[in-house]
Amino acid sequence: MRERMDKALRVSNAEYTEIRIESVNSSWASFRGEELDSIGSSRTLGGIVRALVKGGWGYATFNDLSDLETRVRAACQSASLVGKEESKLAQVEPVVDLLTATLEKDFREVPLSEKKSVIEAYNKIVLGYDDKIETSNIGYSDSFRKVWYGNSEGTYIEDDRPDVGVVISATAREGDNVQRGFESVAGSAGFQIVEGQQEKAEAAARRAVDLLCAPPVTGGKYTVIMNPKLAGVFAHEAFGHLSESDFVYENERMKELMVLGKRLGSDILNIIDDGTIQGLRGTHKYDDEGVKTRKNYLIKDGILVGRLHCRETAAKMSEQPTGNARAIGYKHQPIVRMTNTYIDKGDATFEDMIRDVKQGLFAVDMVGGQTSMEMFTFSAAYGYMIRDGKIAELVRDVVLTGNVFETLMNIDMMGDTVECPPAGGGCGKGGQSPLPVGFGGPYVRIQNLVVGGR
Amino acid sequence: MIVSRLIEKAMRKAQGAQASLGQSESTSVSFENDKLKSVKTSQSTGMSVKVIVDGKIGLSHTTDIEDLDGVVARALEAAEFGSPAHFVFPGLQEGPDVKVYDDAVLGVTKEEMVHIGNEMITLVKEYNSDILVSAGAGKSVSKAQFANSAGMAYGTETTSFGVGVNGQLVRGTDILLAGHGFGWKKREIDHVEIAKKATEWFKMAEKIAPIKSGDMPVVFTPEGVNVLLLALSLGFDGKNVFLGASPISGKLGEKIACDAFSIADNPLLDYASGSGKYDGEGVPHQVTPLIEDGVVKNFLYDLDTAGRAGAKTTGNGVGCSPTNLVIKEGDTPYEEMVKNTRQGLLVHDVLGLGQGNPISGEFSVNVQLGYKIENGEIVGRVKDVMLAGNTYEALKNIAAIGDRAEWAGGSFLSPPIRIVRLSVVAK
Repeated sequence: MRERMDKALRVSNAEYTEIRIESVNSSWASFRGEELDSIGSSRTLGGIVRALVKGGWGYATFNDLSDLETRVRAACQSASLVGKEESKLAQVEPVVDLLTATLEKDFREVPLSEKKSVIEAYNKIVLGYDDKIETSNIGYSDSFRKVWYGNSEGTYIEDDRPDVGVVISATAREGDNVQRGFESVAGSAGFQIVEGQQEKAEAAARRAVDLLCAPPVTGGKYTVIMNPKLAGVFAHEAFGHLSESDFVYENERMKELMVLGKRLGSDILNIIDDGTIQGLRGTHKYDDEGVKTRKNYLIKDGILVGRLHCRETAAKMSEQPTGNARAIGYKHQPIVRMTNTYIDKGDATFEDMIRDVKQGLFAVDMVGGQTSMEMFTFSAAYGYMIRDGKIAELVRDVVLTGNVFETLMNIDMMGDTVECPPAGGGCGKGGQSPLPVGFGGPYVRIQNLVVGGR
Repeated sequence: MIVSRLIEKAMRKAQGAQASLGQSESTSVSFENDKLKSVKTSQSTGMSVKVIVDGKIGLSHTTDIEDLDGVVARALEAAEFGSPAHFVFPGLQEGPDVKVYDDAVLGVTKEEMVHIGNEMITLVKEYNSDILVSAGAGKSVSKAQFANSAGMAYGTETTSFGVGVNGQLVRGTDILLAGHGFGWKKREIDHVEIAKKATEWFKMAEKIAPIKSGDMPVVFTPEGVNVLLLALSLGFDGKNVFLGASPISGKLGEKIACDAFSIADNPLLDYASGSGKYDGEGVPHQVTPLIEDGVVKNFLYDLDTAGRAGAKTTGNGVGCSPTNLVIKEGDTPYEEMVKNTRQGLLVHDVLGLGQGNPISGEFSVNVQLGYKIENGEIVGRVKDVMLAGNTYEALKNIAAIGDRAEWAGGSFLSPPIRIVRLSVVAK
C-alpha cells in the first residue's frame, strides 16, 4: 500500500497532500425482546485525499482504490479553487511507524455464534428480571479498523484501531409509564471486555423497574453531586468543546473569551485531555494528521492553560500541535476533537461532599449531552435527592443545564479518586458522529446548577 | 445487473434473497468564519445482501462491488445463527409515481456553489458584520439497483441538493447561534431567501428578554415542532409498538391528541428527502396516516416486523422509520398565534433533544434559540431557559395549529403549533 500511496502523492501539485486509506471489518448482533433482531457483518474499504493550496483545502473521498492518482488530482483541483492566502501548518517531525494491535481475545477470531450467545445470556437476564420488564434491546458490535496514512512530508503510518462494545437496555412498563435502564461497556480492546457482564444486565433491568416508581425531578436550582461517569461527560460537554481551537482560531471575540491564563473555574478544577491512556476509546498513538497524541492540560488550578489543536489551528495561533485532529472514518477530513477527557482528582470523600447538603441532587451516569459553546445540557441516567446530608428517593428525567463560565466557577468540592468508565457512546461534531471518546473524573460537587423538569 | 447475479449466487444455498447496490457522486463546498474553507468531492459504492436460510436471516454489506462471492458467503454465514424470518420476499409490484430526479442538479458547478455561499454570507454580514458566518452547499447524484428472489427488481436514479448558512454572534460571554438551511432532491432552492431567514432569527434576537419560571403558552415554529416529533417517530415505529416499548402500543383507534391534529407518513411528495417509489425492501411506497383528527390510525412497519406483529408492511422498510412526516395545517395564522399570547415563549431550536427517555414522550431541553412573547409581540431572545413537558400531554393541549405548513428540513412539513402551556424553568 505504501508504494501505491507514495506514487499517487507524487502527482500532487499542492503545497501539502495526504492520503488516508481505511479498511474496516465489523460485525454486529442484537436482540430486541425474545428474538434475535439482526446479525451480520460488513466490510468497507475507502480513502480520502486531502490537499492544501494557498490556505485552501480540497478533499476527495472514494471507495474505488484502483486509481489513486485521479483522486489526488481531484483534491488538488478543489484546493486550488479555494486557496487565496498563505498556507499554514504547524511543523511536525515526519515519522514512519507500523503499529499492530494485539488483542487479548481477538474478536475477529470469535465466531458470530459466540457473539450471539454472549448477548443472548444478557438478554435472558434482563427479560427474566421482573414481570414489569416489557422488552429489551441488547446490541453487540465490533469493528477492526486498519489505517494507512501517508503525507507529502514523508510521514507514513499503519495503525490498527479495534473497538468492541455491548449496550444493554431494559424497558419496563406500567400502563403508560415506560422507563429504561442502560448499561454499556466498550473499549479499544479484545472480546474479553464484553464477556462476564451479567451484573450490568441485571443492573439495567433493576433500574428500569425502579424508575417506574420514581418521580420526575422537580425543576430548579440544586447543589448537585455528579458521579465520575457524569463528571466526565460534564468535562466533555460543558468545557471540552470550547477548548477545540477550530472554534477559536479565526474568531477574535472567542480568542478574547478563551485567552490562555484566564481564570475559568475554581482553583480545585483541573481538566485534561489525554489520547495516550491505554484501553480507552479515545486513545491512539497518532491522530489522523500523523501527529503524536499526548496529555494536554486544558484547565490547571482553575486557569485556562491549553487547548486542542490540529496542525492548521496550532500554526495560526502560534501554539504547539496537540494530536487532536481526528476523523470518524475515510469519508471525512480530520477536525479538532477530544480524545479522553477527564477532571482530575481533589481531596474530598463522598461523605465530605454530601454531609452539609440540606436539599440537593446526586446525579448518576449519563445518557447524553450537547453544547452550543457557552450553553450546555446533559442528562443523567437517574438521580437521588439529597436531603439533610443523606441520599433520599430515586428521581428520573434528570437534565442538567447551564452556562459553562458560571458553572465552572461554582464547583466547590472534588472527590479523591478518578474513574474512567469503559462505557460506550460517542461524540458528534460537524456532521461526524459517533467518534469514540473516553471520559471520566472523580465525584464533583457544583453549587446552584439548573435542573430541568416540571 | 449485479444484483441479479448476487441473487443467483445466494439462491444456490438460500431459500430467499435480496440484494441492493448503490453508487453515488457528490460535491460540496464549505465556508467557515466568513470565507471559503474547502471543496470536497466524494465517490462511493456499496452493496448489501440479505438471505433467508432455513427460516433464518443473514445480512452482509461491503463497499467492494467486485466482491460478489464474499458478500454472499458472509450473509450465508450470518444466517446460520440468524434471526427468524417472519416474512417472504414480495414479488414484482409497480410503485406509485414520485419525482426524485432533477436534471438541473447535474449541471451545478463547484463555482456556482461557491457563488451561492458567498452571496449568503454577504447577505448576513450586511445585516451585522460582527456575525461570524459559516455556509455550505452540496449536491449528489446516486444510482441504485434492487432485486429479490421473488422477482421484484428495479433501478432508480436520484439527485439531491442543499444549502445552509449559520452565524455566530459573540457579545461578552454571550454567544448567539442561529441559521437556516434546506435540502431536497431538486435544484430549486432560493439561497437568498435562506440567508434572509437566517438573518431574521438574528434580528429578532437583538435584545435579551428576561423571563420568569412558570407554566406558560409555547408557540413552536415548524422547526421547533421537532421537539414534539421525536417521541412520535419512536412511538409509531412498529417494532417499538410490537415490543410494547411504545406508550401508544395497543392504542389503535384511540384518541391521543386534540381533534385538529393529524399527521401522516408521506413518501410520495415530489422531491422530498424521504421520497421514493419503493422502500428499502422493494415494497411500493404509500401514504400512511398515523394520527387523524386526534385518533391513532396506523403504525409504521417493515416486512419482518409486520410479520411478527400480524400486520401489513406500510413500506417503511427496513427499520419501521418514517419517510417524510407531514402535519396537517390548521386554521390560525402564525401572526395571530403570537398576537394572542400575553406572556409566552416562541421556540425554534433546542439543545439536548433525545437525551433521557424520549420514547416516553418526556422532554426536558435547553432553549437554544427561543423568544419571549409579551402582550402579543416578540420582545427578544431568552437565555438559560429549560423547557419541559410530555409530547403526548402536549398533543392533547394544542391551543392552535398554523394555517401554513413549512418545510423544516427536507423530510418534515409542519405548521407552527401553539401549546396551551408547558413548563419553563429560567435561571
